[in-house]
Amino acid sequence: MSEDMATPFDPGEWTDAADPVEAIASEVFAAMVDGEPGHLQPRSGPAPEPDDGLYAWVDVHGATRRRVLLTTERETATALTRALLGLSPDDTVDDDDIADAFGEVANVVGGNVKALVPDPGDLTLPEVAPTRPPAAAGLLHAVPFDWRGRPLVVSLWALP
Amino acid sequence: MKALVIDDSRTMRRIIGGILRPLGFDVVEAENGQDALDALEAGLDAELACVDWNMPVMDGLGFISAVRRERRWRDLTLVMVTTESEQSQIVRALAAGAHEYVIKPFTPDAIRDKLQLLGLVDLQETA
Repeated sequence: MSEDMATPFDPGEWTDAADPVEAIASEVFAAMVDGEPGHLQPRSGPAPEPDDGLYAWVDVHGATRRRVLLTTERETATALTRALLGLSPDDTVDDDDIADAFGEVANVVGGNVKALVPDPGDLTLPEVAPTRPPAAAGLLHAVPFDWRGRPLVVSLWALP
Repeated sequence: MKALVIDDSRTMRRIIGGILRPLGFDVVEAENGQDALDALEAGLDAELACVDWNMPVMDGLGFISAVRRERRWRDLTLVMVTTESEQSQIVRALAAGAHEYVIKPFTPDAIRDKLQLLGLVDLQETA
């Protein structure tokens, strides 16, 4: 982790060995998606750039402007949607279901990350797209995960 | 018993509805605070509203404030269910008139426990 990446929000608050973003994502998946801990694991090494990716993000507009971005393969987002809704692998989910579910996961992760930001201001509604969102000025921090063996990245970005 | 589930995410409406229905609630969904107000104006007799905070058109805080201005809806129990987890936001919601506050992510038990605390369900009976 670079010096910049070590202090995405408040250097004074981030001296613990535990990564708060990793902890938040783990809690969100354990409570909402899987119903139990352990299925979202930090990945050793960076996640590959998705071939058929889906990107979900929310922005925090306060004293500092930040973006929380989730990146994964569309196939993983589809599995995530089924898990969130308690559906079986045979149940059909459409693109709107996937965008809504993946966006809601970004919303919950982002909302909890927002609590780390001093004077956080407002949280935007989630957006979901098949391409990386524009206007992200710089990567502050990225946590690569494996969710049930599939790559998923939670990253924090500074906005201009 | 009728419950209004107000959230712009249909995923979240389905999750919360899936928790409430086995507890005996007839669930009515609304995509934002204005849709929920319209349903109440049209005569929906709900005892519980689970309200997201960040929504387009009318947010949850606006909905709660609007409900609390009307005596005819004073028996409606309002539970804010939101990602807004800062203490200052919780205070704002409770000051506006929310009875309880649930932070996403939540477990089904967290919702059930709040409803029991509010006297809306008896978990011994529904078990």
